Amino acid sequence: MTNTHTTSTGESVSDAPDAAYICATCGQAYPTETLLIHHRGIRHPDDLSETELEQYHEAYAEEEATLRRFRIIALGGIVLLYFGFLFMYAVFAL
Amino acid sequence: MTSQDDDSDTDTPVQLLTRVSRRLAVVALAAVAFVGTAVASNAAVGLDSASQQSLSVPRWLYVATGGAVIGASALLASFVTDRRFVASIHSWRRFLTDGRTLRRGARVGLSVLGVVLLPLVVLRGLTGPQVPTVNFALVLVFAGMRAGFTMATYLFGNAWPSLNPWRTIAEFAPNGFVSYPERFGRWPAVGGLLALVWVETTTGVTSLPSVLATTIAVYSVVTTVGAILVGPDEWFEFVDPVSVFFAFYGRVAPLTWTREGLELHLPGMRLVEEEFVDGLDDVAFVVALVWELTFSGFVTTAAGASFVELVAGVGLPPLLVYVVLYLGGFAAFVGLYVLAANVAADYLPTYRSARELAVWFAPPLLAIAAGYHLAHYFAFFVSLLPTLVTVLGSPFSPPPNPLVLTLPAWFGSLNIAFVLLGHLFAIWVAHSIAYERFPSRVQAIRSQYSFVLVMMLYTALSLWLISLPTAPPAFL
Repeated sequence: MTNTHTTSTGESVSDAPDAAYICATCGQAYPTETLLIHHRGIRHPDDLSETELEQYHEAYAEEEATLRRFRIIALGGIVLLYFGFLFMYAVFAL
Repeated sequence: MTSQDDDSDTDTPVQLLTRVSRRLAVVALAAVAFVGTAVASNAAVGLDSASQQSLSVPRWLYVATGGAVIGASALLASFVTDRRFVASIHSWRRFLTDGRTLRRGARVGLSVLGVVLLPLVVLRGLTGPQVPTVNFALVLVFAGMRAGFTMATYLFGNAWPSLNPWRTIAEFAPNGFVSYPERFGRWPAVGGLLALVWVETTTGVTSLPSVLATTIAVYSVVTTVGAILVGPDEWFEFVDPVSVFFAFYGRVAPLTWTREGLELHLPGMRLVEEEFVDGLDDVAFVVALVWELTFSGFVTTAAGASFVELVAGVGLPPLLVYVVLYLGGFAAFVGLYVLAANVAADYLPTYRSARELAVWFAPPLLAIAAGYHLAHYFAFFVSLLPTLVTVLGSPFSPPPNPLVLTLPAWFGSLNIAFVLLGHLFAIWVAHSIAYERFPSRVQAIRSQYSFVLVMMLYTALSLWLISLPTAPPAFL
């Protein structure tokens, strides 16, 4: 995290390019390739090559799957919270 | 989620607005219903109490419920993963009017009003009856500005730059003799805000009109000289705590003047815009806004008063206890927030520094501060509204029989709704900011964990404070 500095526009640029994945369009650095692919897909959709586009679609689908898993866990959390509080109210407030 | 993608493409802003407001209404109702049982006073379940069957909920359970409401809404917000939908909410805007003449007229009118009211406040504070509830200065400054005008600022829009009498004066005088050192940022305003709240809590300005008048006179001299020295634009943007206070609260409001005219946004959604909080000084100011309300809430509760008495009983001077509590609490609030940013910077795969994350996620705290402010001052403002109208109508003849409204008991549960609503807006704003800033949606969700925890702590603390019986602060 120490090899980062902030420019006036708030974009951070890495001083150690070999350690990072850098966006060819805006110079933004990312610690993983997937994040770079996401960044380019969202910020520079018109600059993507065929391969990059394909990579982006793949990364997006993978992210969708992760989000689906997350939603199931979060839903479980909400249900736990709900019943937890229901029982607490039944025990302490009635 | 793909079907939602298609939907949001064809949505008109009106449909979107209806959908959003419906969702917000459901969330708000759910929150109120949830805590309605928690307060369980004769207010929330009015008819139940008539039949003597009201619930009694232990305070810890009520506080925990508040925290859980925030946590659950953060989880629910994280279900919304459609970038276009998230963006369409905070970028929704409508131009209401070009209104150049309206704007110019309002500006001149407000400037004149400000310049007339300022000397009147000082004069009536010094020469008027030294009775808090009828004195023009006291009622105008606290019921009018501290409560009413601040509420109008975050509920509608910021009119302070026009009303500000010191700005009007400084603009007419020759100004800008020294250039403001940029490296100071908004730190002077942070110090100024802390100092003003300290004066408000400890010096009796809230009950002694002459002390208030003297304070305002001193403040006027400092502000006018400062604004003339560095120029009104720099002074009121960076140094003057009152102007920064209103400018920050005004960010929560739906209405704003742009070059094109009067623009309407959804409430709180202008907080998502970039480059408005841009340094740790701004972060400190935002946290100070949350802290000052928490602090004044604490020292005016029976528990706060007995805490101060207890510590002072050991032999410490009471004022020192207040200083330590005030500055220590502020440091703890800032520390907690910065810690959250550090934790997030550590566990997220990102090159963003903790400082950047702290700056990004500070604006949502303004929605929280606005919620606290409404909870602290709404009932106060409504009950003093008749007096405010009377003293404004006749500044030189104090009302012989000031009318103070007695509020129905259910006003107490409104406070809980205000605190929770502020936090719910903050959750959504943080969610939108994360989606704006992070390329991966999973990363955007994860980035909020530590900040949501801090928000839950703030909510729990604040709900606890407003549930405590109030008492005059000890030794002051």
